[in-house]
Amino acid sequence: MTQDVEMKEQQAAPSNSVTSTGPSTLQQLKEIASLIETGAYAREVRRIVRAIRLTIALRRKLKASVLHWFLNFALVPGSEAHSRLLSYLPKEDELDMEVDTATSATPAPVKHSLPEFEIYCYLLVLIFLIDQKRYNEAKACSSASIARLKNVNRRTVDVLAARLYFYYSLSYELTGDLAEIRGNLLALHRIATLRRDELGQETLLNLLLRNYLHYNLFDQAEKLRSKAPRFEAHSNQQFCRYLFYLGKIRTIQLEYTDAKESLLQAARKAPVAALGFRVQCNKWAVIVRLLLGEIPERTVFMQKGMEKALRPYFELTNAVRVGDLELFKAVAEKFSTTFSSDGTQNLIVRLRHNVIRTGLRNISISYSRISLTDVAKKLRLDSENPVADAESIVAKAIRDGAIDATLDHASGWMVSKETGDIYSTNEPQIAFNSRIAFCLNMHNEAVRALRFPPNSDKEKESAEKRRERQQQEQELAKHIAEEDDDEF
Amino acid sequence: MDPKLTEVSQQFERFKAAFIRNDFDTCERLLSQLKVSLTQFRSLPPLFVDTPNATHELTLARDIYEHAVVLSVKIEDQEAFERDFFQLKPYYTDARGRLPPSAQEYPILGLNLLRLLVQNRIAEFHTELELLSATALENLCIKHAVELEQSFMEGAYNRVLSARQTVPHETYVYFMDLLAKTVRDEIAGCSEKAYDSLSINDARRILLFPSDQELFEYIKEDHPEWEIKNGYVIFQRAKESAPCKEIPSLQLINQTLSYARELERIV
Repeated sequence: MTQDVEMKEQQAAPSNSVTSTGPSTLQQLKEIASLIETGAYAREVRRIVRAIRLTIALRRKLKASVLHWFLNFALVPGSEAHSRLLSYLPKEDELDMEVDTATSATPAPVKHSLPEFEIYCYLLVLIFLIDQKRYNEAKACSSASIARLKNVNRRTVDVLAARLYFYYSLSYELTGDLAEIRGNLLALHRIATLRRDELGQETLLNLLLRNYLHYNLFDQAEKLRSKAPRFEAHSNQQFCRYLFYLGKIRTIQLEYTDAKESLLQAARKAPVAALGFRVQCNKWAVIVRLLLGEIPERTVFMQKGMEKALRPYFELTNAVRVGDLELFKAVAEKFSTTFSSDGTQNLIVRLRHNVIRTGLRNISISYSRISLTDVAKKLRLDSENPVADAESIVAKAIRDGAIDATLDHASGWMVSKETGDIYSTNEPQIAFNSRIAFCLNMHNEAVRALRFPPNSDKEKESAEKRRERQQQEQELAKHIAEEDDDEF
Repeated sequence: MDPKLTEVSQQFERFKAAFIRNDFDTCERLLSQLKVSLTQFRSLPPLFVDTPNATHELTLARDIYEHAVVLSVKIEDQEAFERDFFQLKPYYTDARGRLPPSAQEYPILGLNLLRLLVQNRIAEFHTELELLSATALENLCIKHAVELEQSFMEGAYNRVLSARQTVPHETYVYFMDLLAKTVRDEIAGCSEKAYDSLSINDARRILLFPSDQELFEYIKEDHPEWEIKNGYVIFQRAKESAPCKEIPSLQLINQTLSYARELERIV
């Protein structure tokens, strides 16, 4: 699955426009380094986040020579990290001439080596190795970095660490040894929890879920998920992934309503460029909706760039919609390789009874009374005793509330009931209320998410104005407090 | 050979002899001793230490637990089954690379699926199913359980019952009998909703009772709300959601006030 990589890259897109037109890679790296430095001294995590964003934008331009230069720049030559990281890069004499000019301009190396720099260098080299498809070296490099990380306890490193964890897992996944690092990831998650590193916890939890789901260990995944501490999401990407994994687990455990919610939310929240991820979400969401007895709209399958990938699911939906068992079987067979590579084969087996249900619902809507023999014929039930089968299937559908009808055993027919008027119940009111609540909540969350840079104008504010403003604020606060008291 | 290992193997031979004699009390006694002795081997899960006899020890331990599972079915103890199965499971999953596959694997996995079905733990049933490979799904024992679940979900209860004749393994019979009871409860639940009334004859046939007497007893015990009148069983229909006649004013006032407050915050 490549969607993870795609998501990473997308994140870089907004900042791309700023940097790509600018100076050379080397200079950009220098800027990033200074960002990290100020971030580390000022304890401002935000700057480091920005540094990472800029780095990902540079990803395509990373070359061995550039890295070589940067390692010399950022790390104390001769230090352990310096020599180890250099060993992953090609030898100096293999470098292109073009860079030599830049190398000659090497500034005096930074005297003090910040742990942030060291970790950042690990990250750079790791990304480079993965892009060069040197996975075994990437594995070694990432393991070394993780070992180093365990001894660093600084909040400003956490952001870098979260990224490293991701590439650590990715490099093992690419070589197919994901099971090996499970114990390590669990230990890292524990450390992150103890250090209250929420971003790290978030990332590691997702990596663990991915690790478990890779081997279809849904039970373990769910146990970990339900026991791991939860908090407000820090990164949108990680939250999307979490929702996707959650949706998958819930689908397997037959909690379709919750699964649908998670999957649709994941698909909606995912960045536009993360096409692979969104396609996966949509595939699962389509199946879950079918299992719920809903028919996804045609527009779902016509989303840009997804038509081809969703084609098998479109035909499947069609078969379920018509309620034709034969057609359903044909489609399931035709695309069985696609379905099993998507890991949805078992879910499709589950769909069979939804096909029967839809067929039954169509019959119940069109006929006010129909004999069970005809029901069996229309559903194309092929068994020794189709009428008895039809009878028990209809009975179960009635009990599950799929159709509103009664059976008359003596005369052997099914009588459909008139559909009631939903508007005479409280139902619409409740639905309306939940939608309003959703919108209001969305607004509140948006307001809470707003961030303001420290305002320098305020300094110039005159004393009188400040007093006025403070008074207003106090009044407002009092008002809110009173309102809270009013609440029941 | 390691003396500990020899001792355990000998004890296991005694267990097997008792097992064939159907002497289940002796079996249980020996089994608990065996389980205690197994804890001394460091090559077994979860440690997986690479001792010289590791393969031999693992195979022996797996064999013991396989017998334990079958024994629990024979003495009809579902809790023991669950316990033993979970002890056995790591040998099929985590030790897969260290051992040649066991011939008993699929029958026992199928048995476990059946147990989950009987206990109506469908979510766990599907979780287990996801762990199986495509070849495992083709296996007769597994397929049997999977098809049962499908018929069960559809409501084709006749097919569930007729599957008893085609059990792939003798140990399955115990669970199939239990399943028949589950099926009856399901049918009763469905009939209650689907029919207004049934003649006693039909009800007996649908609920799979050999005699009227047993039907009456079942009704008395499990469904006292059903009425028997003039040769008919009359089901009490569940009250339908009545259309709302009055306006839930207090709730509406609360909601409207909260909207107003939220809106005020926005403007």
